[in-house]
Amino acid sequence: MSSTVGVPVTFEKIEKSFGPVRVLEELSLDIEPGEFLVLLGASGSGKTTALRILAGLETATSGRTTIGDRDVTDVLPKYRDVSMVFQSYALYPHKTVAENIGFPLKVRKVPKADQDKAVREAASQVQIDQLLDRYPRQLSGGQRQRVALARAMVRRPSVFLMDEPLSNLDAKLRGHMRAELKHMQSTLGTTTIYVTHDQIEAMTLAHRVAILERGVLQQLDTPARIYNDPANLFVAQFIGSPPMNVVHGTLEGASFQTRSGRVETPVTGRIDRAILGARPEDCSVVPAGQGQFGAEIYTVELIGDHTLVTVRAGEDMLTVKAQKDFTGNTGESVGVALSRDRLFVFDAATGARVR
Amino acid sequence: MSGAGYKFEVSKRGLFERLFEPPAIGRMSPVSKLVAYGILVFWSAFVIFPIYWVVITAFKNSDSVNFGPRYIPFVDFQPTLDAWRVQLAADPFCDGTAILRQLYLMVHNSVAFMLSPVMRVAPMEPQICKLYLAFTNSLVISIASTALCVAVGSMAAYALARVQYRPKFGNILVFVLLTLAMIMTTSFFGIKWYISSAVALALFFLLARSLGKHFKATLGNGDILFWIISQRILPPIVVVIPIYMMFQAVGLLDTHLALIIAYAVANLPIVVWLMYDFFRGLPIELEESAQLDGATRFRIFWEIVLPLTGPGLAATALLTLILNWNEYLLAVFLSTSKAQTMPIMVAAKNAGEKGILWWEMCSLIVVMIIPVIIMAIILQRFIAKGVLMGAVKG
Repeated sequence: MSSTVGVPVTFEKIEKSFGPVRVLEELSLDIEPGEFLVLLGASGSGKTTALRILAGLETATSGRTTIGDRDVTDVLPKYRDVSMVFQSYALYPHKTVAENIGFPLKVRKVPKADQDKAVREAASQVQIDQLLDRYPRQLSGGQRQRVALARAMVRRPSVFLMDEPLSNLDAKLRGHMRAELKHMQSTLGTTTIYVTHDQIEAMTLAHRVAILERGVLQQLDTPARIYNDPANLFVAQFIGSPPMNVVHGTLEGASFQTRSGRVETPVTGRIDRAILGARPEDCSVVPAGQGQFGAEIYTVELIGDHTLVTVRAGEDMLTVKAQKDFTGNTGESVGVALSRDRLFVFDAATGARVR
Repeated sequence: MSGAGYKFEVSKRGLFERLFEPPAIGRMSPVSKLVAYGILVFWSAFVIFPIYWVVITAFKNSDSVNFGPRYIPFVDFQPTLDAWRVQLAADPFCDGTAILRQLYLMVHNSVAFMLSPVMRVAPMEPQICKLYLAFTNSLVISIASTALCVAVGSMAAYALARVQYRPKFGNILVFVLLTLAMIMTTSFFGIKWYISSAVALALFFLLARSLGKHFKATLGNGDILFWIISQRILPPIVVVIPIYMMFQAVGLLDTHLALIIAYAVANLPIVVWLMYDFFRGLPIELEESAQLDGATRFRIFWEIVLPLTGPGLAATALLTLILNWNEYLLAVFLSTSKAQTMPIMVAAKNAGEKGILWWEMCSLIVVMIIPVIIMAIILQRFIAKGVLMGAVKG
């Protein structure tokens, strides 16, 4: 198979309102040719709407979208040369697998022989060549997913759009399909826009992640930079599992103070209501009296290669990633040690990062 | 905790619980079982007995009816084929090919009708006994009108289910006023109808483009759907006379075409209503996916939507077919002899000079209900079917 050359995609100040509800606010994205971009957000963040606007299934209230060098803002879906994988797969139940995959070609009046060849190639790429005569109802969830993928790539579109394609699969299969999807995308080199609410999917698949919240773009960056250098409190708490710990207190100079202790911060300032952020792996449980905060153990969970220790420090709960041989009892007094360089400070009122 | 002492215990079940508690979730208790099946048996007897009575009466002679009631064939009366002989054997045109001859006649006469503006082809006169004629008429009229009605109705329903219509209220008002003006000028000032309608249409487009921008109130799909359904709210007897006048004006009284058109129009609301629900029940992703794949709206309708609503469509068609088959009121007004349908023929037995010939009437009813029973059985099969499995999710 020849690999397609990726095309750039842009969103220019896209606004979308459903009646009085604003779903997207001035969304602007520049997507590189061949890039795997993930739109990440909770439900209601506008990520699916953004995807559907690019597909042409939804009309933006204002703003422009381009694919390659074409302005597609007012172009019907069929002329956009994009293909979409739906969360529900949207397979045609009365057509066989081969007919499903071949449908986009049949609509384009591709000669029958070429159709068959392309269908077999696409099917073998996702390893379903032995299922071509079956109907969707005779397939497992994972197989249906593959049929949907094959149907999306059989006509070699300029852009792949994927709307939570893995969320109906069980956890094990999801991990497997994720790896296959990433491999397939890098082989084909087709620009891909992928919508998900699953941060692990976003982190593992994306070249860049765009995090949306209530229709507003929070941060657009590589997974590593989003994890290590979050733009605001929302991004910091949204990414990471378990999520980043937050402690409420005040920032004075280069010192963050709470009732349960004080800690040196990498930034300086004066904020009465500040929030300190620390990732679970950047915290450690130490004997009582040591470390920066005094705390007591709330619960201890053995995960396998590590143990998650949740402690209560004043009014805040902190989760600490500890060694797998950690022992401790509920209610036991301990200390929490933080590494200064790995701390983040946010303004509690706005959620903005203090740098 | 204080709530700990209050527990249900199986061993403490009294007689009341034993009688009224179900043995398991999803089953019925002994008493409700008795009551429910009792009601069902009674009701079944209530519904089935008249049909039984009609069937046995069709095989009675005048004596068994007049000195009746007689209930059980071979026991308290001897079944005869007298009623059937009157319908079939007594008439020379009731031979085996009569129905085929009649179908040929219908094709010939419709071609003659369509050619009538260009050339004159003499229509054929029917040579068929009354029963076969009525049966063939009923068959042809109900099937043709069902096909017409389902084709038009399902397309209308699909459009209503998937396209957003926002007609402006003001524009509709302007259209109605212009139509009235057109009728007035045509009938009172003698202006040719095509001139006045062309002027009215031009005026409408002009006004809709200019004045229309200022109208705010719009109607939605829900209003259109309700308007269509409301066509069934008026009592049919109210509209049947205007319909009679219209068909009289165009010279179509006592023709198959008149009944086919009238039936199709009468059942359109039902088809639109039912099919609208079926189309709304389809996952929209299938159609969106097909749109992205490049299919046109008609292609999506024929290749994706219709096959998936197959069972719904078949059920709707069968229901319409049954309604058409049973229709009486329109047929009474629009047909006199050539286009007479089965219900008219049955009703006619009510008014013979020899009094009511129950056995002949019942034999006709038997002929009439057999197709309905077959259709009902097929309908039931379709309703039980599920085809959407596998369209979405795992």
